[in-house]
Amino acid sequence: MKKLFAVLLAMVMLLGIVPALAEIDTSEHVKIVYLVTGDKPTNRTDEVLAKINELLTEKINAELEFRWIEWTDWQTQYNLALATQNGDIDLIGTATDWLDAWPNSQKGAFLPLTEEMLQTYAPKTWESVSEAHWNLCRMNGQIYLMPEDNYAQWTNHGFMYRGDWAREAGLENGVHSWADLAVYFQYIKDNKPDVIPWDANGNGSSYSPQMAGGWQTSHTGNIAIEGFPVAIFYGESKDNPYTLSRYYLEGDELVNFAKEMKKWADAGYWRADVLNYTGDVAAEMEEGKTGAHQHHTQTWTGERTTMERKQPGSDLGFFYFGEEQANLISLNITHGAMAVAAQSRHPERALMVYDLMRNDPEIYHLMQYGFEGEMYTVDENGRFSRPDGFEDSVDGVSFNFWWGRNDNLEYKNAQLDWDAIDAMYARYDEVKIDYPYGQYIYDNSNVGVYMDNLSNVYNTYMPRIVFGMSDDPEALVAEFRQALQDAGIETVMSEVQSQLDAVYAQ
Amino acid sequence: MDLDRTAAKRIRAPRQPSLGRTVLQHRTLLLMCTPAILFFFIFAYMPMPGAYIAFTNFQYNMGIYRSPWVGIKNFQFLFTSGQLGLLLKNTVLYNLAFIVLGNVVQLTFAILLNEVRNKGYKKTAQSIMFLPYFISDVLVSLLVYNLLNFDYGFISHLVRSTGGEMAKVYQNAGAWPFIIVLVNLWKSTGYGTVVYFAAITGMDSSMMEAAQIDGANAWQRIRYITLPTLKPTVIILFLFAIGGILKGNFGLFYNLVGNNSMLFKTTDIIETYVYRSMMNSFNFSQSSAVGLFQSVVGFFIVLGANAFVKHLDPDYALF
Repeated sequence: MKKLFAVLLAMVMLLGIVPALAEIDTSEHVKIVYLVTGDKPTNRTDEVLAKINELLTEKINAELEFRWIEWTDWQTQYNLALATQNGDIDLIGTATDWLDAWPNSQKGAFLPLTEEMLQTYAPKTWESVSEAHWNLCRMNGQIYLMPEDNYAQWTNHGFMYRGDWAREAGLENGVHSWADLAVYFQYIKDNKPDVIPWDANGNGSSYSPQMAGGWQTSHTGNIAIEGFPVAIFYGESKDNPYTLSRYYLEGDELVNFAKEMKKWADAGYWRADVLNYTGDVAAEMEEGKTGAHQHHTQTWTGERTTMERKQPGSDLGFFYFGEEQANLISLNITHGAMAVAAQSRHPERALMVYDLMRNDPEIYHLMQYGFEGEMYTVDENGRFSRPDGFEDSVDGVSFNFWWGRNDNLEYKNAQLDWDAIDAMYARYDEVKIDYPYGQYIYDNSNVGVYMDNLSNVYNTYMPRIVFGMSDDPEALVAEFRQALQDAGIETVMSEVQSQLDAVYAQ
Repeated sequence: MDLDRTAAKRIRAPRQPSLGRTVLQHRTLLLMCTPAILFFFIFAYMPMPGAYIAFTNFQYNMGIYRSPWVGIKNFQFLFTSGQLGLLLKNTVLYNLAFIVLGNVVQLTFAILLNEVRNKGYKKTAQSIMFLPYFISDVLVSLLVYNLLNFDYGFISHLVRSTGGEMAKVYQNAGAWPFIIVLVNLWKSTGYGTVVYFAAITGMDSSMMEAAQIDGANAWQRIRYITLPTLKPTVIILFLFAIGGILKGNFGLFYNLVGNNSMLFKTTDIIETYVYRSMMNSFNFSQSSAVGLFQSVVGFFIVLGANAFVKHLDPDYALF
């Protein structure tokens, strides 16, 4: 027995875990500040955090503190917090598609992480992420991000619609194309006088890339390239991904889109003053005042259950952009990632905290679900349920940990409709392809001036095209294209093309 | 007034007292100025070297002063946009409208208030006028939207119930200069009125009494006493305002217009353009370059305006 123990110990030592841990000096108690997007929670997060801090103190003599970037004006606040850091933040939740991870890496917001650091201070994370995945987190050879690469989710955009109304409208199988969507909206317009088919809040400009890109992926094989300040850079198709598409510069599809949206606007599928309307579309849908909500699959999985409760029988369905062409790209693994702040005073300890958040079952479950028994229970299938009357905003816990969720430790929510969700995921899995541009990081230094003006052109014209706000959509598209030319689109296109060629030249 | 001026000259004439003596003599006044001096030192002068950021390619981990120097590259953005003419025109014209109309209305209201004898009415009117100043632009934009929107707006309902046809205000760029100027007047009149009203209250009452005894009527008192006495205040406020003529009120414009590009032709100002262009790229250097440009131009406009005033009447100039 003793011998066996000795052998085991020797093996463990050989693996390098004991010596590594032994070398780390954790005598000083440190506070690790975690920058996270989301509104400061009003629920039991602080209680749970106190418990987690007990565990963290015990394990590595550290504690965690939140710094919330509230949703109001979050893009500005987030980037400002990164720019003005002076050791006041340590861990930063980030993403290459929606939180500018690469531009921020280029601007020096994040600490480059050496392999030795990761192996020493975040060994479990280092082990669990494959080499191929680490390579997608490198810029100029250095690792900047720790990816959320073991968490199944889909954040591809589309439209949520009510299955019951779709059937009434004669769409027996639901909405599966933009044409179906038009039928669905027209049915609501004709038969539900108090309902606005889609009461979009066009004040936020976020609809432009979603809607324009949605039509584009539904009518062409184009694939969006992430990480640009303007959403007009697409690869040609999955067979020819590294040639830039000229969709926004020429061709009829964009004109067709503009014409169709003009028709929708004239038919009253959204309010006439959509561009200045600021309402909560999801809340309106839950109250039965609007028939659709444009967001992504992950939102739909939760919203379906909410809708079933608030509008029984609504059978909320999801039409995903690209469905007509089976044009669907898997989520990039850096849709969520954790980075260490460049000015962090305790980068080693920050990594250790992250390693525990991501891999320690006790801490992970506290973070994601709260106190077991009191706040949730797990059934024999490994699915969790909340007690009756549980209100997330009061009784829940919100760590907004979207930067290292781990399917090995996740419990599925027993209250979600997994039959519908799994069916949807199965359809996705049949057609999806991997994101082809994981290695490519856009470099803004040569064409930044043009890019800002393009950004303005896009933000000026695209909302009008998307919501059909013109007398002559064809002329509006022509005007948009001319403005892109004037702003230097060709220069930028050739620069981006040459950057792509440099990475993916055969 | 002329008497005052010659008196002042006579006192100043003999010999310049030493600096220490001046400080000692005016110690109370200086003490009272200290908060204002500190305020401007901390918030206006200390950050000034940071304008250096406009000439760099700002790197977060290097800080402002160690980031690489790129010269005037960051200034090109505004000039290559092809929009500068329109933006300057909109920004300057709106500001002129705000300054001129604003001051005229504020002055009128202050004088009218001064003529009101009922104290309770005077106080109430002042408070009600002041109130909009404290309403945030976000709320103002909601109010305007709920008044003017085509489908459900209050005015739309009124128009329709009287059998009229409502215009689509949010798709009609021509209407917005009027709406924006009106909203701005509504918001700022109360505040400005109080400033002028304070100046009127501070007037030497003996002049008024003398005029009354000499039989001057209300109109004559306003024309020959109140207005000339207020002239320095008007000029100083004007000089202060003119320095910001290239700076737009971002909060007001952005909240009222938002991303509604149908209205940009008449509502786009430098700030909203910069915001729209850079909200995705977070280029601090470039946005600082625009800010610096506005400030420097504003600085020279103030100098010019001051020189002009000085040329007309040295006593009214700021410096």
